[in-house]
Amino acid sequence: MITIDMLCYYSRLRYANAMEKFTYSVLTLLFCVVSRSLAMALLVLAVNGILTVRKGGIPFYRYWRYMMIPLAFLIISTLAVIVNISRTPLDAFAFQIGNYYLTGSYASLYKGVQMILTALASVSCLYFLSFNTPMTDILSVLKKIHCPDLLVELMLLIYRYIFLLLDISFSISTSQDSRLGNRNLKTSMKSFGAMASVLLIRAMAKSGALYDSMEARCYDGRLKVLDEQHPPKSKEIFWIVIFEGLLLIFTIWSKLK
Amino acid sequence: MNTTPILKAEDLYFSYDNENSHSLNGFSLEILRGKKVAFMGANGSGKSTFFLCCNGIHRPSRGTLYYCGEPYDYSRKGLLKLRSKVGIIFQDPDNQLFSASVYQEISFGILNLGVSVEEARQEVEQVIEKLEITPFRHKPTHALSGGQKKQVSIADILVMHPDIIILDEPAAALDPKHTVMVNKIVNQLTKDGITVLMSTHDVNYALEWADEIVLLHKGQVLMHGSPLDVFTDKEALAQTNLEQPAVLQLFESLCKKGILDSSLPLPRNLQTLESYIENM
Repeated sequence: MITIDMLCYYSRLRYANAMEKFTYSVLTLLFCVVSRSLAMALLVLAVNGILTVRKGGIPFYRYWRYMMIPLAFLIISTLAVIVNISRTPLDAFAFQIGNYYLTGSYASLYKGVQMILTALASVSCLYFLSFNTPMTDILSVLKKIHCPDLLVELMLLIYRYIFLLLDISFSISTSQDSRLGNRNLKTSMKSFGAMASVLLIRAMAKSGALYDSMEARCYDGRLKVLDEQHPPKSKEIFWIVIFEGLLLIFTIWSKLK
Repeated sequence: MNTTPILKAEDLYFSYDNENSHSLNGFSLEILRGKKVAFMGANGSGKSTFFLCCNGIHRPSRGTLYYCGEPYDYSRKGLLKLRSKVGIIFQDPDNQLFSASVYQEISFGILNLGVSVEEARQEVEQVIEKLEITPFRHKPTHALSGGQKKQVSIADILVMHPDIIILDEPAAALDPKHTVMVNKIVNQLTKDGITVLMSTHDVNYALEWADEIVLLHKGQVLMHGSPLDVFTDKEALAQTNLEQPAVLQLFESLCKKGILDSSLPLPRNLQTLESYIENM
């Protein structure tokens, strides 16, 4: 199983109402992006961290490792905002290279940090949702908010087939390894190409067999399935309303300031 | 008593390659309601093709299939009606399970029958309990073991309450524990009066379980009869790459050596043979 998929099935927040988790994540993300406030980003990071690790029971080291992935990318991409090459030094820092300075201002430094924290806080909202909500629950929420059926059904089938094709690719790769198929770069590339072509053929065959099996169960062009019900809890709704209300007030205040 | 066959195949022909060769080659058969029928034969003898024809997935190029005396209606409406009565459980559950959750997967068939959501929920819960799926009902389908996937694929069909259930090699790739579990479920189905058609290579199980055995060879019915009739015909067994069940081989050997009386009825399982030896 893919780690992130496995974690959401073991999360203690798995059975919390999916619409509640979805609403919380999306609204919080929205406020983070609109306000661009450092304080709000730090607050959201802290709250999502506590919810995912303490409440959801996701191991801290896993959460930390997943947070590090966008952080590394963000730091590299924000360097372009922070660092300038100029003939005149700016106020924050300056390193002379010949007639030029590798320099940055306090304003750009602040903007860079603001961007990193806002993006991290937004990512933490999505992590909260994906670490604590199985894909099927997310799809049922998308259905409830009237996302087109075709899109939801496609996502459901793609999600199922990712695992099926991963299983096949692992088996093929193991079989190639056992016959020294990945001995060097040349054989590895050849083996990968062979695996890709077999996977395509298998995917086609599997999709044909799957369609037959669905037809055998009176499939009429629409994937009608039931979702397990986890009713919303008033206490959870209360805290979401309070938290999002605070974020709304803070966002309005930061924009009027 | 109603003697109209629940399923009848009359001179069926089916080809996967534009009539160059035939997977079904003049296939004729009658199956009575409530029977347990084992389909046996070498790989490529036409078992799976016939099953797909029974469910209306394949349409024979020649010949006619009848359900309860009525010829198959291949219109959209006719096929939906047929498939609500004839359910098929595929050999590889990964070809059947399309949904990411066990609960969603089981609900698919019953919702397609047009029942209300409430009724569908009740039916799904009942079948989950009946097939002992509760311990893993919250798992995603890709995290299930082979045996659990098979249980879910049987539940998929059982929830639709078909008159006929077709199982295409249900014990394929299962360990002995899960094979016993699937066999237990199949026995339960037959107790409920469902007509069960099953393809299998396990001659020992077929001898004990089945009311009738159909031996297939090159797309035709080579032999159709009681398990004892079929499994004592060594020529037919050899033609279909099958061996005599162990219990019959042992009984024959003990009779030849004069240990058992050859006038005793042929045993269908080891328990019967054991009782013969005990009563010597």
